[in-house]
Amino acid sequence: MGSSGGTWTNARVPAPLFCRVLTKVGVAGGAVYVAYDQGLLGNGEKGSEVLSKAKAAIPPAVDEWMKYFGWELPAPPKIEFSPSQAWNSGVQTTMSALSVAPSRAQEYTQRGWQYVRDLTK
Amino acid sequence: MSEGELGRKWDRCLADCAVKLGAGLGLGIVFSVLFFKRRTWPIVLGSGMGLGMAYSNCQQDFQAPYLLHGKCVKEQ
Repeated sequence: MGSSGGTWTNARVPAPLFCRVLTKVGVAGGAVYVAYDQGLLGNGEKGSEVLSKAKAAIPPAVDEWMKYFGWELPAPPKIEFSPSQAWNSGVQTTMSALSVAPSRAQEYTQRGWQYVRDLTK
Repeated sequence: MSEGELGRKWDRCLADCAVKLGAGLGLGIVFSVLFFKRRTWPIVLGSGMGLGMAYSNCQQDFQAPYLLHGKCVKEQ
């Protein structure tokens, strides 16, 4: 048995393909499990509960991280806009305009006709 | 169905839509990065599946007017 006479190289040994695939499958499976466990894939009521929990949890978490990094976020501007009120007032305005449209059209037509008749006198 | 109950159903529906869209987007990004070489289609597929699940839940909620949503109060 003689030595092969080869030289040592500083080559990196890549991770086996099986380990890489297993790691990826584990990470992806864990993400799916966490999504299922937190109720993100459940029915509508669970989804709204998750959203309200997230809304309650995010501002204190942001404050804590800002304190940790020593940053100061400016206070968010208070926007007093209610989409539901805006939508409802839009619907009411549209419907009231549509309800008076025939009588208004008749009135303006009569006025216009009267004006034309006065012009031709 | 009263107007208040209808409004609550819409609120639940929109909240669920936001949650499912976010979850689908997140899972799509994870799968895209891990398995599909950062292609766009898994992200689009995940978002679409999330929206579809939310639509299905909303449809079931609106078409079942006699189901009451209650909360279980644990005895102390």
